[in-house]
Amino acid sequence: MKKLVLGAFAAMLMVGTAHAEKIGVSIALLEHNFLAVMAKGMTDYAAKTPGLELQLEDAQNDVAKQLDQVNNFIASGVDAIIVNAVDTSATQAMTDAAAKAGVPLVYVNRQPINVDTLPDGQAFVASNEVDSGTLQTKEICRLLKEKGKGSGANIVVMVGELSNQAAVQRTQDVHDVIATPDCSFMKIVEEQTAEWNRAKGQDLMTNWIAKGVKFDAVVANNDEMAIGAIQALKAAGVARDSYIIGGVDATQDALIAMQAGDLDVTIFQDAHGQGAGSIDTALKIKKGEKVDKKVYIPFQLVTPANIGDFLTKN
Amino acid sequence: MTDISVAGGLFAARKRKTLPAEMNAFLGLVALVLIFEILGWVFIGQSFMGNDLRLRIMITQVAVVGILAVGVTQVIISGGIDLSGGSIIGATSMIAMSFAQSSVFPRAIYIEQGWVDLPVVIPVVIGLAVALACGTVNGILVAYVKLPSFIATLGMMVTARGVALWYTEGKPISFPTDAFKSIGEGLTPVWIFIAVAVLFWLILRYTLYGKHTYAIGSNQAAARMSGINVERHLFLVYVIAALLAGLAGLVLTARSQTAQAMFGTTNELDAIAMAVIGGVSLAGGRGSILGTAIGMLIFGVIFSGFIFLSVDAYYQNMVKGAIIVGAVALDQWRQKRQAMEI
Repeated sequence: MKKLVLGAFAAMLMVGTAHAEKIGVSIALLEHNFLAVMAKGMTDYAAKTPGLELQLEDAQNDVAKQLDQVNNFIASGVDAIIVNAVDTSATQAMTDAAAKAGVPLVYVNRQPINVDTLPDGQAFVASNEVDSGTLQTKEICRLLKEKGKGSGANIVVMVGELSNQAAVQRTQDVHDVIATPDCSFMKIVEEQTAEWNRAKGQDLMTNWIAKGVKFDAVVANNDEMAIGAIQALKAAGVARDSYIIGGVDATQDALIAMQAGDLDVTIFQDAHGQGAGSIDTALKIKKGEKVDKKVYIPFQLVTPANIGDFLTKN
Repeated sequence: MTDISVAGGLFAARKRKTLPAEMNAFLGLVALVLIFEILGWVFIGQSFMGNDLRLRIMITQVAVVGILAVGVTQVIISGGIDLSGGSIIGATSMIAMSFAQSSVFPRAIYIEQGWVDLPVVIPVVIGLAVALACGTVNGILVAYVKLPSFIATLGMMVTARGVALWYTEGKPISFPTDAFKSIGEGLTPVWIFIAVAVLFWLILRYTLYGKHTYAIGSNQAAARMSGINVERHLFLVYVIAALLAGLAGLVLTARSQTAQAMFGTTNELDAIAMAVIGGVSLAGGRGSILGTAIGMLIFGVIFSGFIFLSVDAYYQNMVKGAIIVGAVALDQWRQKRQAMEI
């Protein structure tokens, strides 16, 4: 309700000033599921904002095409540009072109290589990878306490591919959360890679069960490994109420597993929110408001309590 | 029928060696098991091998790659190499799974067409047909177009992965029927591996197909002179290898209860490594399915052993690499020594 009032107020202001704004958007590849949802976030935002016109272009994974689109936006005098980069190492040219023309530029979702040297009037909007593993581990910590295991709980960690930044970060998050006094009762008894892979998650968990590893929670870097672990735990006849299990990604399979009561926690990366946030940031820059160079759209915790909000999102 | 006697002659010469070529691998396997058993008692306080569940997972976790390796072994014995197996697993998995979905999932790919809850033979046949198509292309390119097998199957490795990704634009396919799931449940993957391995062990050892495979791998020109239809035979070898990759893909899909476009990535290299560790010579003409099976067990023991000892996966890869190189070095040394004795 509060939002609605605010929105109506904002709309009145805009009508009052009779100010129409035009934003040019170049998406790397609209076929991509995640990016399509992100683009929907932008158009939804624009639909709610009178006087805001979006020009949405698909770069079809072509670096040269994307640069052309940006130059065309500049030539046609848009008020701001949003770029979801095809090649994150080729963003300097777009940054230079927009800066020279004095047009605000916002990168979204994919981090441009020059993110730390972006000139004034440019920003990067995405989700902060640090949040995903942190949210996940904190929720598992909370659930363990709720179950009365706050005096000491063993956890096992399933790590993604070792070469992958997200795997390294999410695993570090687990360690960081456990280092806080609130969750220091959690103890990692096993930590091993299952390479993001469901079958390998199954194998790893079965090997742990064979070894007789005793644990109260499973923290997996992604949903696929968590589902593999669930399959192995079921096959071995381990009692469901003896462990908490969480993944990351909120995939369709994970949400259905959660509905069936097999999965306790997963984390959702908000594509729609990133899209809306990029427009919001672009408008703020245009109005001359101060914005951070990196604007983070929070990851969202998904649990059986709020799963309904996510079933149709990804 | 002269070809039989010539091929048989080559085969007989091979058998004259005192110790079977699989012996190195077998001793290596025993040594590894002993090491883990001792370390287990010292550091964990429990037996490594005396554990029913661990013994089962040790084999189950490598059975899929093992099925693939049975095909790869034949290709290597025939003097070639097959890099496409992992990608064929991916393509087979995606396409077969789309016909194996259960109607409980409202967003099944072909739910509008009504192609859900299909009998299990349909996805199996479709999956094997995909593999057959890949194998036919491999076979034609290697046997008739005479491309080096490395290049032809490298092409298929990239192409089949492309197919796997293109099919749903990278989206996973899940929720198979119970009948399809059963292909991958419990020890079924292991039984399938054993059936396939025993079948091709017998075929390679006792049939004309096997003798021709060894003959072509030992000396293609001589095999041709002796009347073997080298082209037709090689074509068959690549088709069989692809079909086994397809079967591996089906088992993996059923076991995971999902299909993902990246399934099978680098499995072809694991399969080659299993064969090589088991004494299959990359020069062709030498090796056996039994050796590959031992190589597979070595992989299984290493996976489980490292998890058992809670050793970081980093070290696991280093040790795996060292074992592959060590096995080949040892084999070469043995061959040289034997050559001198003769």
